[in-house]
Amino acid sequence: MPSLTLDFRHGLFIGIFAPENQVVNRRYSDRMRKELRELWRFRELLFTLVERELRIRYKNSSLGFAWSLLNPLITALVMTTVFGLFMQQGGIKSYGLYVLAGYLPYLFFQFAIMDSAQSIYNALPIVKKVYFPREILPLAAVLSNFIHFLLALGALVVICVGVWAAYGDLPLKRTIVFVPILMIIQLALVTGLSLMVSALNTFYEDVKYIVSVLLYLLFFLSPVLYFSEQVRDAPTANSGLLFNIYHLNPMAALCTGYKKLLLDNAAVPDRKGGTLVPLEMNWSQVGVAALFSLAVLWIGYVMFNRMKWRFVERP
Amino acid sequence: MKPAIEIRDLHKHFDLSHSGVASIKTALLWFRKRRIERLEVLRGVTFTLNQGETVALVGRNGAGKSTLLSLIARVYKPSSGTIEVNGRVAPLLELGAGFHPDLTGLENIQFNGVILGLTRKELAKRVDRIVAFAELENHIDTPVRTYSSGMMARLGFAIAAHVDADIMIVDEVLAVGDFAFEEKCYAKIEEFRANGGSILFVSHNFESIYRVADRCIWMRNGVVAMEGDPHQVVSAYREAGE
Repeated sequence: MPSLTLDFRHGLFIGIFAPENQVVNRRYSDRMRKELRELWRFRELLFTLVERELRIRYKNSSLGFAWSLLNPLITALVMTTVFGLFMQQGGIKSYGLYVLAGYLPYLFFQFAIMDSAQSIYNALPIVKKVYFPREILPLAAVLSNFIHFLLALGALVVICVGVWAAYGDLPLKRTIVFVPILMIIQLALVTGLSLMVSALNTFYEDVKYIVSVLLYLLFFLSPVLYFSEQVRDAPTANSGLLFNIYHLNPMAALCTGYKKLLLDNAAVPDRKGGTLVPLEMNWSQVGVAALFSLAVLWIGYVMFNRMKWRFVERP
Repeated sequence: MKPAIEIRDLHKHFDLSHSGVASIKTALLWFRKRRIERLEVLRGVTFTLNQGETVALVGRNGAGKSTLLSLIARVYKPSSGTIEVNGRVAPLLELGAGFHPDLTGLENIQFNGVILGLTRKELAKRVDRIVAFAELENHIDTPVRTYSSGMMARLGFAIAAHVDADIMIVDEVLAVGDFAFEEKCYAKIEEFRANGGSILFVSHNFESIYRVADRCIWMRNGVVAMEGDPHQVVSAYREAGE
């Protein structure tokens, strides 16, 4: 049989279609299992890197952890002022808490991906000299940002308790116990995307600029500053369809999920000065996001493994 | 007993691009015009490093010595052929290889030690010995970028010498320290050999080859040109005018 070999290796999708040139007679799943075992063998390195990132983040400034919370807190403050005073979100009680409940997960998403994008490129001098599983670099960026996210969520709970002490009603819901499910889904999504972006950015240094623009746009397409009830209430003929399409974005489903599981339903004003019917937690949206995230994780991991040996031979 | 390193018919080629900076923009702009040049660095290398043996590599720049060491260190993947390594490898490639310039000496010891396969517990026990060996007690808390080349070489050697590797691969670093440190390195190498460790090293210093090597391999244009007794190989290499 004549065979046609396409060599895309130096085209746009460098490495994705690169032929595996070692040990071809091994099954694909076996190879993946071997890569995962190798990763486990180097777990100490992963922990060391995560520890290092966190130390740099918290110890290099005298304010430490508080300093790193300043960005989300100030953002929430500004948003509360702007949207509360000038726009229709005004009447919502503790609007700032709802912003934070969506913004903290979004920040984790954004920072983890942007940090990973640079992780391999910045470590190239080391990558060119010593062996270790390369996926450790983006994984360390993801994990350190995840730990930071956990701490920030803890701070949000503390703020809620503060609200309780001051006003007498606790804005938190018991469904907070389901939040780890969302975290696991988001971790899968973020890891998959980080693997893709870090690998691509190593070959094409402009990938990180493209990604930062996409992340900026996705922020507005996720319900951080507004509510899923308002998406449902969009003044179009097919608002139901739009609502479903909107929540195909896994970050939209997750942000809504965090808000619903952490905080009581907000009394969201509609266009005519009334109040929108609150939507309950929608697990099927989260389920779709979970499937999507797992697919992204799998594709990201496969892609990364295909490309990782070529990082050092970057043309 | 299995050999420490067994290499069979090893090939390695690199694809060099002349289109400049790597970005999606250039990839699109140069899609038709791009020139890819294939550089064959290794063209069928076969040799064995036995356990407890010290082998020196000689050859001109570009003969493929460093690529070979990098392949053994698993930085590159072979184009074809096999490398079988039995034991823990401590690679010592070039000056300050694998150091992060902004981290302090101590942090680099931790980072490098873990990369070389030590756990953090094992490492904690060795840090003092490593620092003492490198004679860097006064500088260990300053960033590595402030180090002189001699200091970096000392730190690199000290770490590699204390990870309890079975195989050391060394890329011409021993000539950087001062005389006293060089002697210390030789003493450590002797100790390492006495304990059954294997060494593969690149050197342009014939004295050091005569001093430690059991065998010498001369590489030329990506193949093994000659291997055997260090004195014979080195004199053949010198006669070839290289």
